[in-house]
Formats: sequence, structure tokens, C-alpha cells
Amino acid sequence: MKLNPKLSRRNLLIGALQGASLVLLSGCEKLFDSLSQNKKIQSLLEIAENGSRRAQRLVTARNKLAKEFDAKDISPKFRANGNPPPITMDYTTDAQNHWTKWRLEVSGLIKQPASFSLADLKSMPSRTQITRHDCVEGWSVIGKWKGVRLEEIINRVQPGTDARYVVFRCMDTDSDGVNYFESIDMIDAVHPQTILAYELNDQPLPIDNGAPLRLRVENQLGYKHAKYIRALEFVSSLNKIGQGKGGYWEDQGYEWYAGI
Amino acid sequence: MAETSAKPPLAGRLVYRHNRITRLTHWLSALALMILFMSGLQIFNAHPYLYWGSTSDPDKAFFSIGASQNDDDVRGFINFYGRKLDTTGFLGVQQGVFGPQARGFPSWLTVPGYYSLAAARRWHFFFGWLFAITGVFYLLYNLPVGHVRKFFFTPHDIKKVPAMAAYYLRVRKTSPQEGEYNPLQKMAYTGVFVVLAPLILLSGMTMSPQLNIAFHWLPALFGGSQSARAIHFILAFGFLFFALGHIFMVLTQGFLNNMRSMTSGWYKEKIPIVIETRRAASSPRGTPVSSEQEAEKSNETES
Repeated sequence: MKLNPKLSRRNLLIGALQGASLVLLSGCEKLFDSLSQNKKIQSLLEIAENGSRRAQRLVTARNKLAKEFDAKDISPKFRANGNPPPITMDYTTDAQNHWTKWRLEVSGLIKQPASFSLADLKSMPSRTQITRHDCVEGWSVIGKWKGVRLEEIINRVQPGTDARYVVFRCMDTDSDGVNYFESIDMIDAVHPQTILAYELNDQPLPIDNGAPLRLRVENQLGYKHAKYIRALEFVSSLNKIGQGKGGYWEDQGYEWYAGI
Repeated sequence: MAETSAKPPLAGRLVYRHNRITRLTHWLSALALMILFMSGLQIFNAHPYLYWGSTSDPDKAFFSIGASQNDDDVRGFINFYGRKLDTTGFLGVQQGVFGPQARGFPSWLTVPGYYSLAAARRWHFFFGWLFAITGVFYLLYNLPVGHVRKFFFTPHDIKKVPAMAAYYLRVRKTSPQEGEYNPLQKMAYTGVFVVLAPLILLSGMTMSPQLNIAFHWLPALFGGSQSARAIHFILAFGFLFFALGHIFMVLTQGFLNNMRSMTSGWYKEKIPIVIETRRAASSPRGTPVSSEQEAEKSNETES
């Protein structure tokens, strides 16, 4: 007997719906949990990260500035997040000495390796900006930053054409002792508002907020803004840095491009 | 412009209602919206507070989900403008392997179920792109063929709303519907296309620091990036509300007929209506009514 095509389609439909509701009701959570940990699914979803970076950069003029707020907009408390401040002897001693012994080491694919004291950095032309800080978790605070433009340092150390990223080496560690680090590419590094900040709200940078020196990269989320910086490294690839994803949080699965 | 013509009234006949692009984009959007909603709740859980303005002063949240502990008793609650509602068992606290855990939305509502802001963001942005591209694709294909016009709510439809509502509420016996879509359907679909979808995309984009630089008007439009986050959250529940209503109507107004029309394209008209078609582009398969299909269907009963 010839199978009624309509009937089989109806059965198929009902079967599909039953299957779908079963998945929805009982297995949805497990399904998405296992999909989330599947390497192939992860790399499929990562397509969106590249798409976001390309699309967002396409629509943003290179030197366009993030909104700068008025003094009255500054948040009463600039919330600190991430690792607790470093507790090593070196760090606490340096802090007690008002960072007179601390130096920023700059190395990698550059013509003029250099190291700068905090006084050196403060003697360079400075930039002050009142900007909004957006955390990946969803909260925002506004603070006033003063620091030296990263491009100022770049001009002094003269990176080669093979230098594609700046890696920020930090002094803070997580509970397993893994050092914080971050990286941005040269496009963001030379943005006018990308600064190495040493002041917050007209005060020396507090320990909770990354003393003595932290990054401000205003087109990206908070986790890119490396705190407790001790060194900059110019590299051509991020593969050999940490676990190869370009940052501490990136190694835990967060996007390297945090403009979204 | 193609010439328009009125086909004779149809009832109990099969009409080719949804072209293949509409069907494809419908199911892709449905999948995307489900994952966007659930991964969005996971992202919200990372900071279960909502604010108006540009910043997030913790004391000024107008909405939050939280947990409070009194000895061994952990209670979940929501706080809306200072009014607290106990939500233990659903929001704020969830039983985990190691006892009760503070958690905004429960794991069975989030993607992924385990706590991972990083994974939720990846799901969210991938399907955000898919949803946006699907929408653009749908409009590019359907605007020129006049498909969208059929369910676009116009001032002309306003006065027909009460009669249609009366029919749905069973106050009125006969359906006052004239075209392929009734005024309440038009209202719902137009609301999704003109209000919900554009605003949820724009408010989502407003949370991007890079797009704040590219488009300074974005945060201004919503009254600050935290306001945009709150509006994004509210609109997500607007979509949930729409989806639940949509599914309810599909289930109650001839489930198999509706499912057939969104899988094969063919819908059996239940009431005599007039279909206005543009002759040049009435349907990709040619005539809107196939007599063969009709004959095949003649002995099928309405579910």
C-alpha cells in the first residue's frame, strides 16, 4: 500500500515536535552544557568574535574619541575588580617607597629597548580624560585618569614593522599564582586615549586600582585594562604568550577582542 | 511597481502563504531568539542589577535579584524600586551540589547551565549576528515582493481592533477578518518588526564600548549605557511575551495548519478572505493557489 505522503509528513512533524519538547524540557541544559564545552562548537562561535572586531573597526574612524564626561559625572567610588593587589615583598616595599625603585621595562621587537621610572613617565606629556569604564560583568563607573599616551612610549622605543601587539606584564597573580597579562594590537595602542595611567581622580593611582601604572584602552571592556604593570613587550604573535590567547582572561575563554 | 489585483474570496482552500525565505528565516530567528534569551540571562547573572543612566551606583539599582542568608536559611529575592519579593525556589538562590548557591536566574533557564560568563557571551554574540543577518536577509527578500505589507499595521487597522478582540474573547461569533492577517496579528508582528527587533539590537550595540565611540548617539538615544542594558533586558522579556502569545495562538488556532504553512508554505484559509497580490510577484512558485494541492487536500479535516 502506498504510504500517504501527508500522513507521513504529519507523523514526522508530530515526532519532531515531541522530540523538540523532550529536548527542551529535560535535556536542554545538558545539551547546551556539552555544546559549550565542545571544541568544534567553540571555534564555530568564535567566528562571531572576528566578525565583531572587523565590523566594529570598519565603522569606527581611527582617531575618534570615546565620550569624555564632566567632573560632576565622576563616580563616588571607582570599583576595583579582578585579582587582589600583589602582596610580594618587592611590591609592598616599592609602594612604601612611593615607587621610586619601580621601573617600567620595555622590550621585544623594538629598536630602542628602554626602562622608565615613574618620574620619567610623569615628565612626559600627559593626557587627562574622564571616561566610563565598562566591566564585562555589566557594571560601569566613571573616573578621571591622567597618564602618558602609549604612543609616546612607542615613539621612543621604535617598534619594528614586525611588532603587531603590545603585551602588558603585570605584578598581580590569581590564587594559583598565575601572573596577569594582557595584550592589544598596534591599532588600539596608538589611539589618542590609550594611556598608561598613574593618577585616578587627581590622586596617585590607588593600590586597588592598579598602582603604580595601569592601562586605559577606552574602546574595550575592563579586563583589557591591565593593572600593576611592570613591563611592556612588543611581539609579532600571541601564540607563545601564556596559553596563547593573548591575556589572562582570554586563557579562561573570554574574547581577545573586548570591544563588545 | 507591479499591478495589484484582487483574487476572489477564499475559504477552505490552500494558499501559498509563506515563501521559502520567510520559512527559513522564521525558524532561524526562533532558534536564535531562544539562545539569545537564555544566554542573556546567564550574562545578566554576572551582575544581577539594573540601573538608569550611565553608571552603576550599587545603591541606585532599580531592579536586582539577590540572596540573603540567615544561619542555614538562604532566601532568594527580587528587589524592584525597594519592594522585595521572596522568590526562593526560582530566582536568587538555587540548590547546588554543595548546598544553596546565590544565582540570579536558575541554571535550567540559562545557556550554558553552569556558570560561565565567557561561554554565554560567545553564544550570545554568535546568535546576535545570526539574528541580525537573518532579519536583514528577510527584509531584503520580502520588502520588494510586498510580503511585509500584508501584515503591516496601518492607521486604517486601528478601528478594526475592537471587533477582532471581541472575536478572540468569544464575545463575537464571526471573525471580522478581511485580509490574510487580522488587525491584532498585524499589531503583534508590526510591533516585533518596528519596535522590539530594532530596539533590542540597538540597545545591545549600546553596551559595546567600541560602538559607543563609533556612534556617540547610541548611548544618548537610550539615556546612557546602563539604561540601554536595562532596556535590552526589558525588551528581551517583550520578546518572551510575544513568543508565548505566538505559540499559544499557533496551538489554539489550528496547530497543524499553522505548522504546515511555516514548513511547506501552504495554509488552508478558514474564512472567506480576499488576497491582494501583486501580479508580478505573487509567489515564487507562480500562482498562489494550486488546484492540484487543493484536490489532494479536500478530504483532510481541520485539526
